Amino acid sequence: MIYFYDGSFEGFLTVVFEAFRCKQEPEAIIPTRSNIQIPMGEQVTIPRDDQKADRVWMAIKKKTNKKNARMLNIAFFAQEAQKEMLLWRYLKKVFTCSDPGFYQNMLDEDVNGVVDMARRVKREVHRFQGFVRFEKSVDGIYFAPIDPDHDIVRLLTSHFKARYADQPWVIYDTKRNYGIYFDTEKVLEVVIDDPNFDINTGNLKDHAKDHDQDHYRHMWQAYYDAINIIERKNHRQMKNYMPKRYWKYLPEKNKR
Amino acid sequence: MRDRVLKKLEVLADAAKYDVSCSSSGSTRSNQGGLGNAMKAGICHSFTEDGRCISLLKVLFTNHCIYDCAYCINRRSNEVKRTTFAVEELIDLTVSFYRRNYIEGLFLSSGVIVSPDYTMERLNAVVRRLRTENRFNGYIHMKAIPGASKELVAEAGLHADRISVNIEIPSENNLKLLAPEKDYRSVYDPMNQIHEGILVSKEERMKYKKAPRFAPAGQSTQLIVGASPEPDFTILKLAAGFYRQQNLKRVYYSGFVPVNSGDNRLPAVQQPPLNRENRLYQADWLMRYYQFNYDEILDKDNLFLDPAMDPKLAYALRNPHLFPVDINNAPYEMILRIPGIGVRSAKLIVANRRFGSVSFAHLKRMGVALNRAKYFILCKELPAAGLTGLKPEQIKKKLVKNVAAQGVQLCLELY
Repeated sequence: MIYFYDGSFEGFLTVVFEAFRCKQEPEAIIPTRSNIQIPMGEQVTIPRDDQKADRVWMAIKKKTNKKNARMLNIAFFAQEAQKEMLLWRYLKKVFTCSDPGFYQNMLDEDVNGVVDMARRVKREVHRFQGFVRFEKSVDGIYFAPIDPDHDIVRLLTSHFKARYADQPWVIYDTKRNYGIYFDTEKVLEVVIDDPNFDINTGNLKDHAKDHDQDHYRHMWQAYYDAINIIERKNHRQMKNYMPKRYWKYLPEKNKR
Repeated sequence: MRDRVLKKLEVLADAAKYDVSCSSSGSTRSNQGGLGNAMKAGICHSFTEDGRCISLLKVLFTNHCIYDCAYCINRRSNEVKRTTFAVEELIDLTVSFYRRNYIEGLFLSSGVIVSPDYTMERLNAVVRRLRTENRFNGYIHMKAIPGASKELVAEAGLHADRISVNIEIPSENNLKLLAPEKDYRSVYDPMNQIHEGILVSKEERMKYKKAPRFAPAGQSTQLIVGASPEPDFTILKLAAGFYRQQNLKRVYYSGFVPVNSGDNRLPAVQQPPLNRENRLYQADWLMRYYQFNYDEILDKDNLFLDPAMDPKLAYALRNPHLFPVDINNAPYEMILRIPGIGVRSAKLIVANRRFGSVSFAHLKRMGVALNRAKYFILCKELPAAGLTGLKPEQIKKKLVKNVAAQGVQLCLELY
């Protein structure tokens, strides 16, 4: 059976629920809005059902633990083909295996696969805790565009909310075209239709920029240049830690 | 006026860059109704062209200095541009950078002006105002100025997450030769005081939750490698002492960069000894995470680390009687000693062998560097590969060729 779902985590858990209920083993689980090539076979579209999703979620927590359930949720945000099938195989083994400690068995290919996938997502979350760059806008909101590999913008919320509790901010995924907005009280998901920033550089347009913004941007660029020790130049190592694909929105890696 | 601050920033960041410490880890300061917090693991915000992490705004308060240390760019007798921040300028920079997520906090050091106490008080003024008036809870790393009074160092500990005092030269004789105005006492006194302060604060916080924290991210130090002739053995012994006695979080090794030419007290080198520095860090890691003693890594007959291979491999080749290690039965401590196996994979091996026998394919998936590890382990497929019967010289031949291929560039820089 080939399952289609809406792309959300809850939608995926609904598929797991239905696949177990109907005993119809999936050959593929595919988000409806995707350009993955669809294999031959019988197809069904499963609408998201939060109650069913919740039952699967509770079962995961019961069969493993809270921390592990959270790990699965993080793994789901990976931008990787076949992630649904990997998670499906994992869940099937966890639900049917007689050993209650099975979910920790890293010798198993699928357990190892899911744990590693979650690690890749977490690694990028940690990187972006550092690589997010805010620009101050004329109305006092701090705006940061990002373009990460994985769909991590929601996973950044708690960190930035705790750190910048007294300033309103937006972190916006320009590739997936949605972001999070914190107004100093609550967090909202937002879609910007008419952007007042340049999509290529991420910079706020002149009329939208706080009058001090460029000054601090220049100071930061000057600091970046001054702190370098020329005798120790090591480009390869720099790129290892900060790959080129992340440079787009970093002022220190762009024109002075 | 703005251009003036920009110029100051350029001069005072340039003057601070030879302090290699960058870490922003070890503190869990939370945000209580102000700006910022500290993350236990630390966060790197950028990386310089030389590959070092930038996590803190690292600047000197001033690069004027009353001392004349041979190895230092800011020494009194150098003709360099001199400047000093106003307290307000530095606070504005820190907060404005922080709000844009450029940095994790402030690393504040300074040349010594007027007296150690006067300088220390200026540094305290900056961090005191950041913590109180600006309610800044981001990470702060402060230098304790050697020779500053106990009261001032005690105040610094209340505001800073980490404090450090640099030992700079790995033996007192050579420190006195290169920095005639300094001695080890002026370094060890504040170091011991900070150590004591951390212990007392920890004890008090067990009794009263609200007792003040004192340098919650601990203290660190830095020493310069290659400005004086001490061998690696002396350096590692010194570092091991710091970890054991003063309970330091980190010792940083800074390959000597010849910033002052024409001083015959210093060696004439073209390039900083980056490979030697790297080997020292590897040895340091072995002491902090791999349960090695300094005298297992080097001894009286082996005073220097081998530039051609990492110290863990060198240890294994010098101790063939301990290998091969059976990864399905050996204790954790022994698995940690296998070249090519890191802390994470060692833990994975020990935690997972109850599920079944750990095989070559498993090790590969766990991220073990099998090209090295395969000569030192026993697991079910391995004896067939016939690799563990080799003599140390044979293994060295196979591995050091590999290592040398990677290390050639670095080695050339060293010699």
